[in-house]
Amino acid sequence: MTLQLAFFYLYALVAVAGAVGLVTARQLVHAAMCFFATLLAVAGLFLLLGSEFLAAMQLFVYGGAMTVLVLFALMFTGAAPHAGSPTRRSVRWLALVVAAAFFGLLAVAFAGAGWKISPAAPVDVEAIATIMFSRLVVPFEIAGLALTIALIGAIVLAREDDVLGAVKPAEEAGEEA
Amino acid sequence: MITLDHYLILAAALFCIGLYGVLTSKNALRVVISVELILNAVNINLAAFSVYVAPREAIGLNFVVFLMVVAAAEFGLALAIIIALYRTEDIGAIDTIRKLRG
Repeated sequence: MTLQLAFFYLYALVAVAGAVGLVTARQLVHAAMCFFATLLAVAGLFLLLGSEFLAAMQLFVYGGAMTVLVLFALMFTGAAPHAGSPTRRSVRWLALVVAAAFFGLLAVAFAGAGWKISPAAPVDVEAIATIMFSRLVVPFEIAGLALTIALIGAIVLAREDDVLGAVKPAEEAGEEA
Repeated sequence: MITLDHYLILAAALFCIGLYGVLTSKNALRVVISVELILNAVNINLAAFSVYVAPREAIGLNFVVFLMVVAAAEFGLALAIIIALYRTEDIGAIDTIRKLRG
């Protein structure tokens, strides 16, 4: 139990530190790497929760695919380190106050909530699969459809002869005429 | 002993850091990554509630899987839009993007 708690604090520390690094790092590559650390820590948290399946999914989807995708996007866009003017100081402080206030609100709500904790039961892949392929089979299919549509849409959007640029000259020509 | 509150507070912290990132950063890519951080915090919440409050039916864990699917789709589309925007004009900051309409 104590060992689990120690590991929880380790993962929590890595997750929060990575998140802070994500929002404060000047270089975008560093921010992406900090986010990667957070994702790994969250996978560890899923392991602590006893759900190996979610931990594996987290590593595959987030830790693997998304990190590579971010790095590719950085390469394609030339990785302008801090493009545009920096955010105004007042905006930063306001955002900090908003985020801190929201955190405080959540903490107060959690403290007074009093959830009914049930005795622990093993949560294995079978438990997930039983529900996913019986009660949630329609959402499952819709999720697959949504992924396919998103994939096709992403290809169309990011094509070499891009749609956003292709329409623009026609629009300008129309204004001239 | 790890309690439910441990996970909830950690997820709330991650959520609020992501919120700060969304509100302050001007780079489109960083905004998208911050949104992913927020989704990750929600994932932790869902999984923790599922394990602690309703461990017999793993419905919350299923929600996590669905949320990962939606997050992946959203992330791919967002990156495609960012790449398309960079290609048309050299746009770095999101406050200079004035139109997304074709």
